[in-house]
Amino acid sequence: MTGGPRFDDVRVGTAIPALAKVVRREEIKAYADASGDQNPLHQDDAFAQSVGFPGIIAHGMFTMAHVAKAVTDWAGDPGALVAMDVRFRAVVFMDETLEAGGEVTALDPASRRATLSVWAAVQRDGQRVLAVKNSTAEVRLG
Amino acid sequence: MPLNQALKGKEYPALTMEVDRGAVDRFAAAIGEHDPVFRSAEAAVAAGFPEQLAPPTFVTRMQIPASAQIAADPDLGLDYTRVVHGEQGYEWVRPVHVGDVLTATPRIADIYGKGSLEFLVVESDIRDAGGDIVVRARTTLLSRGAGG
Repeated sequence: MTGGPRFDDVRVGTAIPALAKVVRREEIKAYADASGDQNPLHQDDAFAQSVGFPGIIAHGMFTMAHVAKAVTDWAGDPGALVAMDVRFRAVVFMDETLEAGGEVTALDPASRRATLSVWAAVQRDGQRVLAVKNSTAEVRLG
Repeated sequence: MPLNQALKGKEYPALTMEVDRGAVDRFAAAIGEHDPVFRSAEAAVAAGFPEQLAPPTFVTRMQIPASAQIAADPDLGLDYTRVVHGEQGYEWVRPVHVGDVLTATPRIADIYGKGSLEFLVVESDIRDAGGDIVVRARTTLLSRGAGG
């Protein structure tokens, strides 16, 4: 498992590269089928509008998967992720650009584990809206 | 109607899922995961894993039926139309791979209120066919109280 940083090269404050993608309706449909979460909030615009959204919203777990991918892409080892705790703070709408990232907040030399604070955000009406915040991930580094 | 506090600690029937290659392929595609260890057995084996890996959050597939089972408990008093996913935690002991037969045993870890919101915390230990824990999952659902 290569490509990722070595534990000894990482410092508290090291930022992981932000990972961005545009959230498309077809992806949310595919995610509903792939995850088994068929809640109409993610499928049916009329239903989503009836509870106050402009249209269907992305699954929270879709956003978490994107955050997890930002972390494993940085770690360079898909088996490196040992824990993640995510708080969902805002919903994500269709065609928004979802960005995820994080920063190292603690290092444990005994276990060669790094703790990161992680986030996900979109730009909405000129404002940065955090969809995930006060959240953490723990990775084992080489 | 407030959630029934007496159900704190209640354990629900276990759910079993075999990790199917087609399901992993669809999940990886849906989240835009193109790392070959999640897309092919050969690449995963070459990287030292026993089989094609499932992306870390793949086990959410077990939590949908687990949550549905708890939501349907008539003793709990949960109105599922008022529920949103507030928090999710995972602890991975090892990566999940194609061919794993996983069993989750969901239990209500906590029920508490904060303002007009109620919080339902469900924890599941997810074990493999050998009985070893593979993933620990903790889901917090928020229920907006009546009128909230």
